[in-house]
Amino acid sequence: MRPVIGITTYVESATWGVWTDLPTALIPQDYVAAVNAAGGRAVLLPPDDLDADVVGVLDGLVLSGGADVGPELYGAQAGPRTVTRPERDSGELMLARAALAGDLPVLGVCRGIQLLAVAAGGALHQHLPDVLGHERHQPAPATYGRQEVTFVAGSRLSGLMGDDRGVHCYHHQGVADAGSLTVAARAGDGLIEAVEDPGKRFVLGVQWHPEVVRDKRIFGAFVEAASGRR
Amino acid sequence: MRRPLIGLTSYAQNVQYGGTDLLAGMLPMSYVKAVHATGGRAVLITPDDPGTDVLESLDGIVFCGGGDVDPALYGAEQHPATEADNVRDTSELMLMRAALDSGLPLLGVCRGMQVMAVATGGSLHQHLPDLVGHERHRAAPGTDPLAADASSFGRHDVVVREGSAAFSLLGERLTVNSFHHQAIDDPGKFTITGWCPDDRIVEIIEGTGPAFQLGVQWHPERTGDLRAFSALTEAAARTKMAV
Repeated sequence: MRPVIGITTYVESATWGVWTDLPTALIPQDYVAAVNAAGGRAVLLPPDDLDADVVGVLDGLVLSGGADVGPELYGAQAGPRTVTRPERDSGELMLARAALAGDLPVLGVCRGIQLLAVAAGGALHQHLPDVLGHERHQPAPATYGRQEVTFVAGSRLSGLMGDDRGVHCYHHQGVADAGSLTVAARAGDGLIEAVEDPGKRFVLGVQWHPEVVRDKRIFGAFVEAASGRR
Repeated sequence: MRRPLIGLTSYAQNVQYGGTDLLAGMLPMSYVKAVHATGGRAVLITPDDPGTDVLESLDGIVFCGGGDVDPALYGAEQHPATEADNVRDTSELMLMRAALDSGLPLLGVCRGMQVMAVATGGSLHQHLPDLVGHERHRAAPGTDPLAADASSFGRHDVVVREGSAAFSLLGERLTVNSFHHQAIDDPGKFTITGWCPDDRIVEIIEGTGPAFQLGVQWHPERTGDLRAFSALTEAAARTKMAV
């Protein structure tokens, strides 16, 4: 049996076929394809904050991208450009904490790294152009920013990534404080681009989108760690 | 004790939301909420990921609504009004057969009920207006045919065969919503236990063995009547206990 990888989903009012603006659980297919290509079996986890017991049947957890994390969760007031999904926050924080407590491999992507940082006691920048003075992390709607990141020597991530440092970014918030996590990569402007927890089997958050290129360096290592669980 | 884990078969489909247009694994939240409201924990099973190993993690499964089943799978020529979803067909036929073999509790909704029939050698009527001469089984998308102020379009009664599992669950008669243009002709290895009294269209099928296997042609997840989902999660909880 392949390792079962849970991927958290968006909930958006979506339109498809004959249906218009129907509340829908959805995830960009790239995530499923990246997990599949790395040898995992993806199941999608719509938000639910009754309990995190589903973690017990998972071998790994992907905290996916999406809207902003509620600033109240890291002790801040919401800024004017912050758009939250409280239903996702409560369900996903519960899953993240249960996964971390059980040493389940966790991969956080974009919103996912931000959620990991918040779960670790950290905090976020609510609108990067206000902090950094540029829009290179999200150059235009639905357009990835191409960046080169620098991996922190000795991090697990630097061992995985090799010489290719190019990544696809699309975000307007970022990690200001990684909490108890270790910074594993930074952008040229100094922004935190990856975090990890060296004390766990596999806990990695990346601010970019490795799923769009099915990055086997990251998804491969993640699914391999998940395979070792059983 | 952990809630029973209920898999929901889902779409891989282009969707638009908030100015974004992308290929997504997706399912209306109404299914998710129906599972959570009846004591289960929903996970979505995407169709593009081959293999049935995921069933080992589940306590029950719902085969959800969607596009038409490819008529080639039951040996028929395609009707002009038929819009097949081949990706889901391939995945769901595989999952259906494995779930039936293992006795995993299962519920088929609309297309899911039709997949139950086709997976076991049955067949479908491809376009009901050709058969019954009206379109009343297909409510307008986005409407609630059971709302107090709705017209009778897309709403009808179902009569249930006395002595069946569906009869114990739903009683002898109920009123349902209706969002389909195809229907079961031959139920395969299942037994027909509910009909629309107006035109004899098949509305309920069920298994003949001890495992919970129920198919309904309507959409209980869009109503307040979640008895079919409750029955599934209860059967899933019993299965989980027995393992």
